[in-house]
Amino acid sequence: MGELLHTLIQRPNFVVFVILFLWGIYIMAAHPNLVKKLIGLYIVQTSAIFFLVAFSAKDGATVPVILEGMAAVDPVGYANPLPHVLTVTAIVVQVATLGVSLALVSAIYRKFGSLDEDEILEQLK
Amino acid sequence: MSSHLPILLFLVPFFMGVSMPIVTAKRRHLCPGITLGTVAVMFVIALMNLRVVLTEGPIEYAFGGWTAPIGIAWLNDSIAAIVAATVSFVALLSIIYGRVVVTSDLEKSSHYYTLILVMTSGLVGLIFAADLFNVFVFLEVAALAGYALVGAAGGKALVFAFRYLLLGSLGGTLYLLGVGHLYVATGTLNMTDLAERLPALMTSTAVVGGLIYIFLGLSIKMALIPLHSWLPDAYANAPSAVAPFLASTVTKVALVAWVRIEYSLIAPTVEVGHVPVLVLLEELGIIAALIGGALALIQTDLKRMFAYGGISHIGLILIGVSLGNDTGFTGGMFYLVNDAIMQAALFMIAGAIFHHHKASTLDEIRGLGHSTSPLLTGALIVVAIAMVGLPPTGGFFGKWNIILGALEAKHHFAVFAVIASTLLTFGYFLKVFSSWFNQPQSVAGETIAVSGGLRLSLGVISFSIIALGFLSDFVVRFLLQSVRGGGA
Repeated sequence: MGELLHTLIQRPNFVVFVILFLWGIYIMAAHPNLVKKLIGLYIVQTSAIFFLVAFSAKDGATVPVILEGMAAVDPVGYANPLPHVLTVTAIVVQVATLGVSLALVSAIYRKFGSLDEDEILEQLK
Repeated sequence: MSSHLPILLFLVPFFMGVSMPIVTAKRRHLCPGITLGTVAVMFVIALMNLRVVLTEGPIEYAFGGWTAPIGIAWLNDSIAAIVAATVSFVALLSIIYGRVVVTSDLEKSSHYYTLILVMTSGLVGLIFAADLFNVFVFLEVAALAGYALVGAAGGKALVFAFRYLLLGSLGGTLYLLGVGHLYVATGTLNMTDLAERLPALMTSTAVVGGLIYIFLGLSIKMALIPLHSWLPDAYANAPSAVAPFLASTVTKVALVAWVRIEYSLIAPTVEVGHVPVLVLLEELGIIAALIGGALALIQTDLKRMFAYGGISHIGLILIGVSLGNDTGFTGGMFYLVNDAIMQAALFMIAGAIFHHHKASTLDEIRGLGHSTSPLLTGALIVVAIAMVGLPPTGGFFGKWNIILGALEAKHHFAVFAVIASTLLTFGYFLKVFSSWFNQPQSVAGETIAVSGGLRLSLGVISFSIIALGFLSDFVVRFLLQSVRGGGA
């Protein structure tokens, strides 16, 4: 137990990721309001992006651009660019998802006059 | 030129889809023609690609001349070529069929055609992608268009589309997390590269956790029981015009993505606590095949029944590809192609029944067999034979190879599951036919005029179900090429 605690304290950003992820899933499952469900989804997606950024962060590293005339390339001095590229793409996907989902939610609101899932299910019967 | 066929297959629908709202802003009536033409071109390209792969074997397509692992690669092997041809074939028939049953408000918006084309391009990307992150992007492209298409009918469908979106996006996020884990552990995203580095790392919790995330994410997308809850409602309420295309492609192509990952990354020797992982996956397939079939049996709504039938077939395919031998694997993949076509046919029939007779439940179709067009009855019988899996349809040869593979692997419970799910399938089609050929409650009498589009799409799809049976030997041998050729 003490060892586990030690491991956790050493990795605060992964602890934050776990908290965000579970929190988002909880909101998605527990709230009847459709917009709040969307917020939950958004938090889950953000937590995944946070995870990608967290493992690629590096103290004192710089952008991986090789300038002319540089002889030796030392990989320790550079941040890994690939997770950041993944992050940008994942953010684009997230924004697109949010766009489609907000369009659906507004269509649902116009049709059913409510955003509460229980009320909408009542009307569906 | 011939090596660029996969990317053309992606770009043609993508560009046409994106430019559709601009090109047809003032000329809405051109939409159906342009879409049909685009998909027809796609189908021709897919057939040419099939021929190229048939003669030259698997080809790796490197974007911009940057070869993997530095660049992004697409793998054009026999699995990809066959599934791409199937998807474009089903898309072509669905659009011809969609012209018949499309509702006027859906028809009026050019978005419907845009979405269909964008979704097709996403699916094509998903089929060819040989890079984990590419799979994620195309998964989301196809899924986003899918959510919008399910919701396109408005009304009840909106709520189910929203649910589909919540679950589907959660699946996508889980998949992304898994990709992140595997990247941390191996430093690569290319599947061939991963396959080399992973075996040594199979004890790492990051790798195991990553693979579990990936499987969870994809099993939401492929509606594997118990993560199937979005599918029946979404497909039963989706517009009739798009339901065949959605039902036949989305889950199957997600399964193809998983098969690629499973086949290249999980060797038969990989174990969790002395149980091989493949056996665990096979058990999941067995559960899905049995429960899906049982749930289909208790449905009273035609579309929901067929949707659950599709869920049970996902389980069958998963059994086949997880047996760990070539026979089962090719059987599973061949069944996947068949299932795509059968699901399209089933939803076309259900949509046509609803369109012509306003009937959607078993009670409402009572006695329709006497009054409706013989074409519908004929198509329904052909699909039923294929779904149950009787020769000479393709369904039989797929199941046959899965059973042979299971016997080869000495997994007798899998054999039982395939046969039991066949019996369940037989059971629910018995229910459909007993009501279809029942004495009509009221004298409906009116004969319907079946339009040429419906005649064409139902005729061609019924014919192709039988033709696949006759071609089965050829297709299975062609699929084996991908297995033996070490296609990742």
